[in-house]
Amino acid sequence: MKTPLGTVFGLGSARTGTEHWWLQRVTAIANIPLVLFLIAFILWHLGADRATLMASVKHPLIAIALALSFLSILWHMRLGMQVVIEDYVHGRWRIVCLLVNAFFTIALGVAALYAILSLSFGA
Amino acid sequence: MAETHTDQRPLSPHLQIYRPMLTMMMSIVHRITGMALYFGIILLVWWLMAAAISAEYFALTQSVFGHWLGKIVLFGFTWALLHHMLGGLRHLLWDTGHGFKLNLVEWLARLNLALSIILTLALWIGVYWVRGTL
Amino acid sequence: MVAFTLPQNSKIDAGKTWPAPHKGDLKEFRIYRWSPDDHRNPRIDTYQVDLKSCGPMVLDALIKIKNEQDATLTFRRSCREGICGSCAMNIDGTNTLACLKAIEDVRGPVKIYPLPHMPVVKDLVPDMTHFYAQHRSIEPWLKTTTPTPQAEWKQSRPDRAKLDGLYECILCACCSTSCPSYWWNGDRYLGPAILLQAYRWLIDSRDEATGERLDNLEDPFRLYRCHTIMNCAKACPKHLNPAKAIAEIKKMMVERRL
Repeated sequence: MKTPLGTVFGLGSARTGTEHWWLQRVTAIANIPLVLFLIAFILWHLGADRATLMASVKHPLIAIALALSFLSILWHMRLGMQVVIEDYVHGRWRIVCLLVNAFFTIALGVAALYAILSLSFGA
Repeated sequence: MAETHTDQRPLSPHLQIYRPMLTMMMSIVHRITGMALYFGIILLVWWLMAAAISAEYFALTQSVFGHWLGKIVLFGFTWALLHHMLGGLRHLLWDTGHGFKLNLVEWLARLNLALSIILTLALWIGVYWVRGTL
Repeated sequence: MVAFTLPQNSKIDAGKTWPAPHKGDLKEFRIYRWSPDDHRNPRIDTYQVDLKSCGPMVLDALIKIKNEQDATLTFRRSCREGICGSCAMNIDGTNTLACLKAIEDVRGPVKIYPLPHMPVVKDLVPDMTHFYAQHRSIEPWLKTTTPTPQAEWKQSRPDRAKLDGLYECILCACCSTSCPSYWWNGDRYLGPAILLQAYRWLIDSRDEATGERLDNLEDPFRLYRCHTIMNCAKACPKHLNPAKAIAEIKKMMVERRL
């Protein structure tokens, strides 16, 4: 049975958290131009065929901008969802959800990068 | 002193009785749009992957997304994106230490909501105008 | 998973409707009641109060009910002028001090509950033990290494001005108990009231333990459960702004890393 103060002290301060907070803001700011680019890119290619899309992605700047967009978005997503899980999921599902979040965002990131590279350098 | 049975104390009501305010609603909607975008991004990655796989598969994907249901999803996705981004700008302002006066907080919340709706409609009307079709 | 609904023993049942005293300018009060001697779930009791023979504030009505109708109604109160913080409760959906809330500002029946998501000792009295322990944990006193001067620690006027909007906190807990983040993670999240006090000591120019204080606050839960929901600033009956104070703490955290 812990005293009220002992309960508050808990395991002590983790002395971390600022890095996470800062990166969320960095990716948020990066997302502003990158997401606007992404929206424009999608709208430009609405109903387009594969050849048109490939031709666009072969431009180095387009490919780089696409890659940066997904990188920034997925990093921001991962950090954001992590906070949501920390807020609401307590108990044995906590670690599972945090791991799924990490794997899901990384897998999506790698898939997106593969697709961009494939379209950029492929035939 | 007699045992006070602290473990039997009830918990006072919270969500059940707290007055819903615009700022509180905007905060949870910011979170909900974030989570919707989190899952919606799968569609974006799917789209690119489809193009990387083959022309036939990409055409199939385009027809799925071009279906009226797919367009509704895309409409919702763009609103969620714009709303979340505008909310993000409000948060970035607060992070600098500004924008905390209560009447400004209310005003910015309303602006966020209004702009997200206006910009989403403007975007889709613009696309329709340029392409002649949605 | 966090419980968004109330536990079984906390769900509210219907309660007693007390008879109206006599014809008059009657206002209805619906008040949360629970006693450890009840051996049943909490309930809402309904009272009618003649406003013509009652003071203007909700606290006046509570005292009148206790004096004239139901002596078992239990609530904390002391100064009746908004400075002690005792009568903090949820009135008409928002947390405020009963002695500062005008009855006529409430349209319809006045619904009164204890501060949200708190263990209830009795009726409108929440258990504040954890809240006070959190206050103690931030070491709310001056910490210095330099030997104590012969006279006072000197502080310039601009430096003293930095404490305005912070020292006035009466620790009523209206803000912390209005914060959804504190509801879900109040065991580890310090909450707006305590973080405002932590900031009060962080920017006190006479204090020499700033680094150590920041170390203790830099935690994903103690500080970073704040998502700028803003319920705190809206609830504060002393018109302080904990959200701003917390934003300033976060800025200090970044500043010491760049």
